[in-house]
Amino acid sequence: MTLKDTAIYIGKAVFFGLIMAGVFLILTPLLTGQDSNGNLFQSRGKQGIELSFSHAVRRAAPAVVNIYSLSIDQNQPLNSGALQGLGSGVIMSKAGYILTNYHVIKKADEIVVALQDGRKFTSEVVGSDPVTDLAVLKIEGDSLPIVPINLEIPAQVGDVVLAIGNPYNLGQTITQGIISATGRNGLSSRYLDFLQTDAAINAGNSGGALIDTSGQLIGINTAAFQVGGEGGGHGINFAIPIKLAHSIMGKLIKDGRVIRGALGITGEPINPVMAQILNLPDLTGVLITDIDRQGPAAFAKLRPSDVITKFNDEVVPGVEMLMDRIAETPPGTKVTMTIIRNGQYFDVPVTIGESI
Amino acid sequence: MKTKLSLLSAALLGASLMVMPVVSQAAIPLAVGGQELPSLAPMLEKTTPAVVAVAVSGTHVSKQRLPDAFRYFFGPNAPREQVQERPFKGLGSGVIIDADKGYIVTNNHVIDGADEILIGLHDGREIEAKLIGADAESDIALLQIKAKNLVALKRADSDELRVGDFAVAIGNPFGLGQTVTSGIVSAMGRSGLGIEMLENFIQTDAAINSGNSGGALVNLNGELIGINTAIVAPGGGNVGIGFAIPANMVNNLVEQIIEHGEVRRGVLGVSGRDLDKALAEGFGLETQHGGFVNEVMPDSAADKAGIKAGDIIISVNDKPIKSFQELRAKVATMGAGAKVKLGLIRDGDKETVTAILGEANQSSETAAGAVHPMLAGATLENVKRGVEITEIAQGSPAAASGLLKGDIIVGINRTRIDDLKALKAELKDVSGVVALKILRDGNSLYLVLR
Repeated sequence: MTLKDTAIYIGKAVFFGLIMAGVFLILTPLLTGQDSNGNLFQSRGKQGIELSFSHAVRRAAPAVVNIYSLSIDQNQPLNSGALQGLGSGVIMSKAGYILTNYHVIKKADEIVVALQDGRKFTSEVVGSDPVTDLAVLKIEGDSLPIVPINLEIPAQVGDVVLAIGNPYNLGQTITQGIISATGRNGLSSRYLDFLQTDAAINAGNSGGALIDTSGQLIGINTAAFQVGGEGGGHGINFAIPIKLAHSIMGKLIKDGRVIRGALGITGEPINPVMAQILNLPDLTGVLITDIDRQGPAAFAKLRPSDVITKFNDEVVPGVEMLMDRIAETPPGTKVTMTIIRNGQYFDVPVTIGESI
Repeated sequence: MKTKLSLLSAALLGASLMVMPVVSQAAIPLAVGGQELPSLAPMLEKTTPAVVAVAVSGTHVSKQRLPDAFRYFFGPNAPREQVQERPFKGLGSGVIIDADKGYIVTNNHVIDGADEILIGLHDGREIEAKLIGADAESDIALLQIKAKNLVALKRADSDELRVGDFAVAIGNPFGLGQTVTSGIVSAMGRSGLGIEMLENFIQTDAAINSGNSGGALVNLNGELIGINTAIVAPGGGNVGIGFAIPANMVNNLVEQIIEHGEVRRGVLGVSGRDLDKALAEGFGLETQHGGFVNEVMPDSAADKAGIKAGDIIISVNDKPIKSFQELRAKVATMGAGAKVKLGLIRDGDKETVTAILGEANQSSETAAGAVHPMLAGATLENVKRGVEITEIAQGSPAAASGLLKGDIIVGINRTRIDDLKALKAELKDVSGVVALKILRDGNSLYLVLR
């Protein structure tokens, strides 16, 4: 092989390679059907540098409704229909089920739901759950807009989100921010476990939608839990994660309330000092610090300073898992707790009660 | 063998070249417009010099009536009114819109009552400005400075904005110095807030605070989309709800101020209400947004253009409108004599008409704040026997005076009032307490404006 042959050989390879690369580069975006920015932003304008969330807004916003709760004063029935509460809600299904906050409709004698297309409905409360501050309403209507929801991919810190609602009854408003902290989805979750966002949420946003940049519902905003009380603006707002809200909605539609199991204990995680004092093999389990005297735990003769290590043979790594398992168990169910008392293992049968 | 090898290597090279951009993309999750890191800095370098600080000083003159309860202490000869003069200083922002002529747009409420207006440029220069003209009802004022090397902002077509578009506010909050905040367009065509007489705001969650007034709201191209004007602030500061006057409305107003030194409000001569779903269904319409025409004033611009009661106005100059208020704000800021193309739905068919707007003082509809401060918040209209209150904003001075929608003003003190012209003339000369004689549900009664 001469030098010339080698040069031609390399030249050919480079030539064909460049052509094929060119063909690939042109075809790839056509085949995948995406621009290089992916789903996050929508390119717009001649230069393609103007960016917008308007696509996500168009998908989700029609399904976010304004909720007005009216109270009727029994002493002054003629002066009735005073606006008592203001909030937002999200239409979840064609059947007309709407998720909102419990505190929005708490004291309402009559609830009016206003859609963005101008339609107004009076609505019934299907069920409510004060623990998570959620309520489900139902309206009867044709061709209701519904929100796409995202139950598979959990929200992550840093995700860009949009809040949709009706702050101060101004009319539908979209605000933007990021997920500042993520939450849990267990049945025993309290509001500090919820999604935290810096998107502006104000009075009237309660019950409205928190969506991702593709327009899918990831949470239900709740202005009731604000740092610094009335009037947000601190950039610390909470939303109920959609997975939790969705499961609560299912229970409210089925039973009209959320039935949570209860054990009647106060527990805390095990720290190294306690582990040494109580002669525990490791830090897994939950230390009982207090027992409700009338509760199921007292009935089963559990005592403070017992350590629960297993729930129905499942290892208990910490407090949250145990609380979730108990809450998920229907009242009246017999379960077996494995505990360590005085360094010895015992299996204790317990009948789960109902949380009030 | 050779061919196979060269084909193979060609494929390999091709594949590796193809993978290269994918890899570089994976390393940088966000690439905005081909730039590697998403930053607004390159856009802002060009736009921030066009936003200025506006410092004003002047004297507030306020008259205070001595409450009757205190007259006892001061004796019968005490003056009924106390005149207080208080010097004031104010801070706001402004936007240079014409670099050659030195035109600066700001809010009317920033410069209202000022004796001296000082402009602080981005490069540190301080130049005194002249007031060219202002419009209180839309809250826009135009200033002029004489200076070289100015930078002006390009104006975008604000009708093209969509909810969800990025927006950047530039201004001078709390007098801190120039500050840039970012957010999105939260809503369009916001009206009925009772902040200004004519409202058609862009709502944004970009942080706007005291001192941002008159500053710029720009898009990602650095073009002006609005003038930041007001916020909802239950605690005094920003909660992510701010309002800007759209650039297109600013354009119309500025053109009139440059031409006439004032805004010559255009009037169409229709009264009406928002189209809603129920009304749309009643008329068998597909559209759900627009302005429903209740009544057309005789000999008005609308009458001459052939608009009839029952028409639904759905677009202004080919741009769709959402509400009657938006129509009102758009038309009123266009200026007398302007040609306006209006899209209508009549009997289910779409039509287009062109109206030449009349001048406000010749027409029969007006915003009442300009007539008398205690009537602010009401919309007045000539009717057969006097002047009717056709609209009244909640919480406005007019509502606080006890006026209701549908009241007809037929007299002031002891003078009979036939129309708006007479009402204006009478109120011009009256000082102090005014007794309005009104007709309500067929009964006449007096209301006292203080």
